[in-house]
Amino acid sequence: MMMRMLLRIAVPVLAAVSTLAGPAAASKPLKADEAFRLEATRAADGTLALRWQIAPGTYLYRDSLKAARAGTPVALATSPGEAKDDPNFGAVEVYHHAAEATVGGLPAQGEIKVSYQGCAEAGICYPVVERVVDLASLKIETAGSEFAGAGATLARLSPAPLSSPPSAGVPAGAQGSPPMAIAPKTITQMPAAAGLPEDAAPDRASALFGGNLAVLLVAFLGFGLLLAFTPCVFPMLPILSGILAGAGERPGPARGFALSAAYGLAIAVAYGVLGIAAGWSGANLQAALQTQWALGAMAVVFLLLALSMFGLFELALPSGLARRLPQGRGGSLSGAAALGFASALVVGPCVTPPLAAAMLYAAQTGDAARGGAALFMLGLGMGAPLILVGTFGARILPRSGPWLVRIKQVCGVLFVGVAAVLATRLMPAPAGLALWGALAVGVGVFLGGLDRSRPGHPPVLRLAKAAGLVALIYGGTLLIGAAGGAGDPLRPLSFLAAGAHTAPAPAQEVRVSTPAALDAALAQADGRPMLVSFTAGWCTVCKSNERVMDDPAIRSQLAGLPRIAADVTAYGEGERALMSRFAVVGPPTLFLVDGAGQELPGSRITGAVTAQDIENLVAKARL
Amino acid sequence: MRRRDFIRLAALFLAPLTLAAGIGGAHAQGVDVEGILRDPDAPMAGNLDGDVTIVAFFDYNCPFCKKATPDLVRVVKEDGRIRVVYKDWPILTEASVYGAQLALAAKYQGKYDAVHDALMAIPGRKIPKEQMLEVVKGSGVDMDRLNLDLALHGPQIATLLKRNNAQAESIGLQGTPAYLVGPLLASTLDYASFKRAIAEARRRQATGE
Repeated sequence: MMMRMLLRIAVPVLAAVSTLAGPAAASKPLKADEAFRLEATRAADGTLALRWQIAPGTYLYRDSLKAARAGTPVALATSPGEAKDDPNFGAVEVYHHAAEATVGGLPAQGEIKVSYQGCAEAGICYPVVERVVDLASLKIETAGSEFAGAGATLARLSPAPLSSPPSAGVPAGAQGSPPMAIAPKTITQMPAAAGLPEDAAPDRASALFGGNLAVLLVAFLGFGLLLAFTPCVFPMLPILSGILAGAGERPGPARGFALSAAYGLAIAVAYGVLGIAAGWSGANLQAALQTQWALGAMAVVFLLLALSMFGLFELALPSGLARRLPQGRGGSLSGAAALGFASALVVGPCVTPPLAAAMLYAAQTGDAARGGAALFMLGLGMGAPLILVGTFGARILPRSGPWLVRIKQVCGVLFVGVAAVLATRLMPAPAGLALWGALAVGVGVFLGGLDRSRPGHPPVLRLAKAAGLVALIYGGTLLIGAAGGAGDPLRPLSFLAAGAHTAPAPAQEVRVSTPAALDAALAQADGRPMLVSFTAGWCTVCKSNERVMDDPAIRSQLAGLPRIAADVTAYGEGERALMSRFAVVGPPTLFLVDGAGQELPGSRITGAVTAQDIENLVAKARL
Repeated sequence: MRRRDFIRLAALFLAPLTLAAGIGGAHAQGVDVEGILRDPDAPMAGNLDGDVTIVAFFDYNCPFCKKATPDLVRVVKEDGRIRVVYKDWPILTEASVYGAQLALAAKYQGKYDAVHDALMAIPGRKIPKEQMLEVVKGSGVDMDRLNLDLALHGPQIATLLKRNNAQAESIGLQGTPAYLVGPLLASTLDYASFKRAIAEARRRQATGE
């Protein structure tokens, strides 16, 4: 269950990555307020610093940054922006991502009015945004300002319009009638799709792939680094520390570096191989690696690793191989590499959206070298922080001793957990729940939950016992839940309350796994749009998506929308044909099809869905 | 380019979420559909009896508007059955207001299109008033008449700008340009995506969606 929660946390980060990946663009329009966020700080010398956070896909014009105090312009110090030279627009200086301006010589009290203006790359220019910054509290308020036309009065060409244009210093509305009373200009909600900054994403992505190889590699290294900070990589940490701990006494930085570098490089190689293979075959190899056999084998490997950690046997390389390596401890080097290779494939499903883009590209172009290189860099990026931990983390680890046994045991438990995560994908939900229950009970017992407390026991032992008891009770609850047919580790006893609920609306879901079955299901739709979701038994994100869709509110919305679940668990001939028909890279992928079986443009969602996504889909289907 | 169109059009498909509640919708709240489509003061172009109406919200210092304008003009001309409603919505610079006032004043001598096209043809986003005035002078309008109309109809022009702003806000527009193509809403479009949007608008109008 931990994994699922972690996956959920990972989603926002992945979403950010996947906007670049294109297919996952469940795009939302940005409001000007969201595109440009202003913050103000004051230094000790009284200098006011204004900082803007600029959302991806939007930019601010340098010369639009303005400030005024009591109606008098105040000079802003700004740094040079990026030159944007567009044949249509001329050369301008813009800021992407962030901008900063400073103002000196301001009083301690009072307020300053700040205005700024920018556009989204997708082709929309936002109105001037005005904000009032309180110089004492640095609070930022919306200015009660009018739209640019509001304060201005009419242009007057008289008295001599033809001979003398209005002088530069006189604003259009400086003379004459009072300001028009137009309602204060607020940036209103944008429920629809006027200017999607994400519009540019596919262009960006294709430009990325089509362009310079160096840029491509650096970009993927960056993606990898981003991914390294998602919980996807968490399962790798215990594996790595297990390797380091397994290296015997405290490994020095050099040893730690060597081990973790072997591990990190193996991750990169695994992804590189994946990229090359994708380029050659065009098939969904990741899915192939997620078949029941592969998952089962991995679960067994992790279980064996765990048993080794518990001291049942020692992992060692054949002595002949070990002797050829320096220091006689080299077995763990190749072990580290082997584990790294395996780990990369294990965390695969977690990184589906960005991988999908790269693999789709590699498969479409058949450019195996490029696809392989890109994915290699992705893996390298993911491995880099691990290498740092391995190198410097090793130095701060305490000296060898009883801690080593403890670390090994903790790693053992975590390995068992990883094995359980893998195994639960192969079994029905209640059986998975029972597995987790058994694991929790085991942990509880090992923590001393059933040991007798003695007066002389230190607090640490008592804490451990308390934790052990909690684990025991939780594990027991899970076992009871499994017996009752529950599948959700966070609500194992929900089946007790289930009787109180009204019977759920029958899900109009047809499960198909061949194009023929899909066509048959489409024929039942009478030309209405249908929701097609690609799913698989091994796909954890699909499971959490199903939970989102199972929410009563969502379920009632979905009631009128016929659904087809394309189950690609088995990944045979029919499944492959289904996936290639809709150019699906992997589950979870959801989209709407019209009565003719054509995908509705813009309806595709790859990866995790939110309730809002489903609402949008339903609304779209009703059009 | 095809891919871009595809995505743009995909964006269009979301639009009726707003407009279903707005244009033609029974639950319209504060959206003056009639005013948006048939404001008697708003300049119009194209085929006034056309079957699809494109309402353009724009600003004379908006680079994207300037980029899209030639494509819009071409599509309208080639299609022959499109009615265009111009909504001057000066939100970007102070000079934008000035330009809008000049253009709308020229309407009284039947020269709105000329001034509009001239102002839209100046590339850039910071065109000062002087430059706008120069261009307007060169567009063939009678400047004495323009001056007179500004004086006579000034309040009416001011009210129109105010109304345009209210209409833009009522349908949640966030910036310029914004194009209502039949029931669809989009930002910057190019030639191909204008055409697709128009085709889609016709399809929807025909099927009564």
